[in-house]
Amino acid sequence: MASKKNVVVQINPEIREALLEMGAVDAYKCYQCGKCASVCPWFQVGTYEFLVFRFPLETVLGLIASSEEKEELAKEVDKIYRCVGCEACVEQCPLGVKIPDILRSARRILVDFGSYPETLKSVVQKIRNVGNPLGEPRENRGDWAKDLNVNAYSSDMELLYFPCCVPAYDARIQKVAKSTALILQKSGISFGILGDKESCCGEAIRRAGAENVFTETARSNIKVFEEAGVRQVLVSSPHCYVTFKNEYPDLGARFESLHTTQYLWQLIDAGRIRPDKEFKKKVVYHDPCTLGRQSGIYEEPRNILKSIPGLELLEVEEFSRNLSVCCGAGSGGLWIDWPVGERMADIRIKQLVDTGAEVIVVACPYCLQMFEETVKSMNLDIPVMDVTEILCEALGE
Amino acid sequence: MDLIVCIKRVPQTAEAEVKIDGSGKDIVKDRLTFDMNEADSYALEEAILLKEKSGGNITAVSLGSAEAEDTLRIALAKGADSAIRIKLEDFGELDGFKTAALIREAIKDIKFDAILTGCMSTDDSYYQVGPTLAEMLGIPHATLVSKIEVADQKAHVHRELEGGLIEHLEMSLPAVFAVQTGINEPRYASLIAIRRAAGKEIKVIGKEEISSEAKLNSTLEELFIPPVGERAEILTGTPDEVSKRTAEIIKEKGLI
Repeated sequence: MASKKNVVVQINPEIREALLEMGAVDAYKCYQCGKCASVCPWFQVGTYEFLVFRFPLETVLGLIASSEEKEELAKEVDKIYRCVGCEACVEQCPLGVKIPDILRSARRILVDFGSYPETLKSVVQKIRNVGNPLGEPRENRGDWAKDLNVNAYSSDMELLYFPCCVPAYDARIQKVAKSTALILQKSGISFGILGDKESCCGEAIRRAGAENVFTETARSNIKVFEEAGVRQVLVSSPHCYVTFKNEYPDLGARFESLHTTQYLWQLIDAGRIRPDKEFKKKVVYHDPCTLGRQSGIYEEPRNILKSIPGLELLEVEEFSRNLSVCCGAGSGGLWIDWPVGERMADIRIKQLVDTGAEVIVVACPYCLQMFEETVKSMNLDIPVMDVTEILCEALGE
Repeated sequence: MDLIVCIKRVPQTAEAEVKIDGSGKDIVKDRLTFDMNEADSYALEEAILLKEKSGGNITAVSLGSAEAEDTLRIALAKGADSAIRIKLEDFGELDGFKTAALIREAIKDIKFDAILTGCMSTDDSYYQVGPTLAEMLGIPHATLVSKIEVADQKAHVHRELEGGLIEHLEMSLPAVFAVQTGINEPRYASLIAIRRAAGKEIKVIGKEEISSEAKLNSTLEELFIPPVGERAEILTGTPDEVSKRTAEIIKEKGLI
């Protein structure tokens, strides 16, 4: 019979106090039912031990990132940065304990002391320096639109279109921004862009713990929006959507945030655009965590897809809508290279491909980038597209 | 083994867009992030590893503005026992010589077996402070250090040379080691250590405490971005156009 080991736990009230100061107050709500574990994507990955249900208790006992042994501490910090903020746990929790916020409180302290992954340091540095995480020149931010006859925003326009960083700069994902602009032009909506005046929305670096750079970046955007007289901002990224809607108002923002799937469905529903060109493919829709679970936007992207003639919409049985599995890009995950065999995007792509779909459809630039890379690394031959790209094709653009 | 580690807070410019300010002698820093100079973080880690093996105390020293205290606090959280900030605001313009002279004055009452510095700082890249400090103290030094082992009051030190050579030196102590990046893997600070470091006192010394008359050996005349050379061809266009042209050039040059 195996001998029982006594485990001595050193309780650290100082760590608990520090985490509570940084916003980990939800830790006290948890009664350890373990329901969070049933939906945490790391349990589906199965090759990395991420015991999500332990974090609240570890906060109360002050055990988070507490090791004073170098290698052990490195593992603990790596673990803190494994949470992708998908909020599957929050949605299932009977008391709504926000475990991602608990981990974010630890990240905030680590960031202040330079004790976080170098790749994320580089992202924070680039956002502060040039306003985007790719380190691309600020003056090229509006280049995606240069062949499209898109105007600079003025206050008499209906909408500001804010593509954010990945659709503004990434050669593949620029197609999402271009498709959005073409659809808006076709529908006769007056809209403009701010080009190099805007900066990253900052959502990802806030979730990575870089609170100060987030606040500075958000204030800069708010100032630019106010000076331009912006009332409605249309965004391609659900990450921009949630931070504009839920976090910017705390910093004084007074504008409405609209996701492209919401707005474009309204245009179809009102008959302002009619997708009449066939898209004769079986497509499966992946609910981005930030659009679905975190914003409750499940129907609009599906409605757009269903309005397209010839398109057959498939669902991932059991893992659709609020049970969708994260692509792994949230909360800084996009920039951390987890080892092969420990990637949640692999699990999700397998679920999506197993539906028999010919095209994977998303409504988030992070999911798009993550899945594009994953289908290549898995040697799969299946296109990944954004809802706006398919709609644009169906409009004959 | 008592150790002193010299640490500098520097702007992170490796991947940044760098612009010259109106004085023509400095860069615009308001859109940059700051962190511990990279080589210094390796020097600090090496000091912590030496302390873990043989005990003793680590004093972190930084010549910098008040914000450098944030960087010193990181050193305290990672394993330094005490910290000193030399008030940059009291001493005006600096070069490697004057910096070394000020550090020498700041540490004159501290007992030490070795001083560790980064081999260079990423902002000024003088490579001077470690060797100059050693000369001023009349003790040996090694630059580009890639390994340190201490036994019987001797240090066995590796230096990384051009051509992939390693030089192995035996050195008497006390000595100054100017450490290369890559010598170790700098650690994170634990939350408990961060919390403790937050309450530690940082000794701040300025012109009242340091009577140095150190003069500059060199003065900065101008900082400028070099003009674009004529030999480089910058390819522009879509990724397809750029890769097509790249393939053509490789073919034209007979490389494939």
